[in-house]
Amino acid sequence: MDFVTLGGNLLGTIPLGDIVLYLTPFNLFLFAVLLGFTVLIALSKPETQVEATLHYLNNTEVKVGQKELKQRRFLSIVCGLASAGAMITGDLFNFTLFMALVGILNIGIVSAVKQTSVLNSAFNYGLIAMMCSLPLFGGAAIILASAGTLSLAVLSQMSASPMVVFGAVLMLIGILGESGVAPFFASKAEMFRTAGSPYIVIIHLSSLFIIVRAVEILLLVLW
Amino acid sequence: MRIGVLWNKLADPKNIPRLFAFSLGIILIIGLVVPLALNPDQLYVRPAPQEQIDEGLAIAPYDRGGEVLTQAGIINPQYPDNAASLGMITGYMSPLAQWVSSISPYFGTSIYSSPGGLIDEILYYTRGFDTILESSILMMSFIIASWLSVNYTMNRKNDGEEIRQDVKKAIKDSNNVAREVKANDVKARSKQLRRDN
Repeated sequence: MDFVTLGGNLLGTIPLGDIVLYLTPFNLFLFAVLLGFTVLIALSKPETQVEATLHYLNNTEVKVGQKELKQRRFLSIVCGLASAGAMITGDLFNFTLFMALVGILNIGIVSAVKQTSVLNSAFNYGLIAMMCSLPLFGGAAIILASAGTLSLAVLSQMSASPMVVFGAVLMLIGILGESGVAPFFASKAEMFRTAGSPYIVIIHLSSLFIIVRAVEILLLVLW
Repeated sequence: MRIGVLWNKLADPKNIPRLFAFSLGIILIIGLVVPLALNPDQLYVRPAPQEQIDEGLAIAPYDRGGEVLTQAGIINPQYPDNAASLGMITGYMSPLAQWVSSISPYFGTSIYSSPGGLIDEILYYTRGFDTILESSILMMSFIIASWLSVNYTMNRKNDGEEIRQDVKKAIKDSNNVAREVKANDVKARSKQLRRDN
């Protein structure tokens, strides 16, 4: 499928050597929304949770410490920027790299939490993220070997061979695992059951946006 | 098995990596029957295997032609207009590499012969943005790991309260383990006894 059909008129490109970022209304809109959300996150203060205590009358406050807050805010800003970059990139391998960056940042955001259930699911998500590098980069490599190009603008003009379809399926399972879509949702859903909400929410938001972009990319490659 | 049991298993983070690995394995096995063929019209063209060796070139099979800074080598980028002076350093070899290639006909077969100029060109010229991203992935993981080790691993010996709590927890855990081992022991022994009688 031509990317003009999917994203609207081509407004311009940002050439970076062989990697060309292209700007269509669809991609620009996603990019702008993510940047806006990143700014909101950078400016906001994290929430505090209040937990009822069993057998006693007092409540406990689950709070994010000052140092941890700074680290988490930094990582979530970088996560926002990385997913914004994934929205306008016009290169398949570039997209998978952005995806890998988002995956490692998602683990980093919750890495300093002291709740064992959260850490446990973050560990399990980390295992998936490690496994995902094989289908993500392998899929991109197979598509490159078969089509001879990584540029989405050129790929969208080609018809898909069985090898390209296989590469796309590999990439799809990599994206499903990395962004925690069903049936691989549990490890990622448990990760954000902790205090410090706006920073935690970027984990969720980045995977949502990346799924939208991944659908567009798969349509470009396969149709 | 009721489907509810299955859903409950899916909701346990522990099972997710196994499920993912299983489905990835299935797809890779299906990949064995997909016809795979290399498209020779690649971003960075390569001569056919053995072709350069038959010609007797000194750095076969990695000779890509070109002279440093004067004549462009054989290179086929996606967007040639974005990289005007492309191919100019493709033929570059370090003095050591040049010396080895002058005395040995097998230079191209060793790992250090992979043409430095070409790799530099790909990494820093045509696909420079990918290099930036790759190193930022590494940097982020180092930031996370070093922050955790500075704040949680190295700093812990100053936090007496936490150490006391952890010691208490460790004692409790090891007691639990010991109790479980003992219970299992008793169970196994009784089973053995029953079998003997």
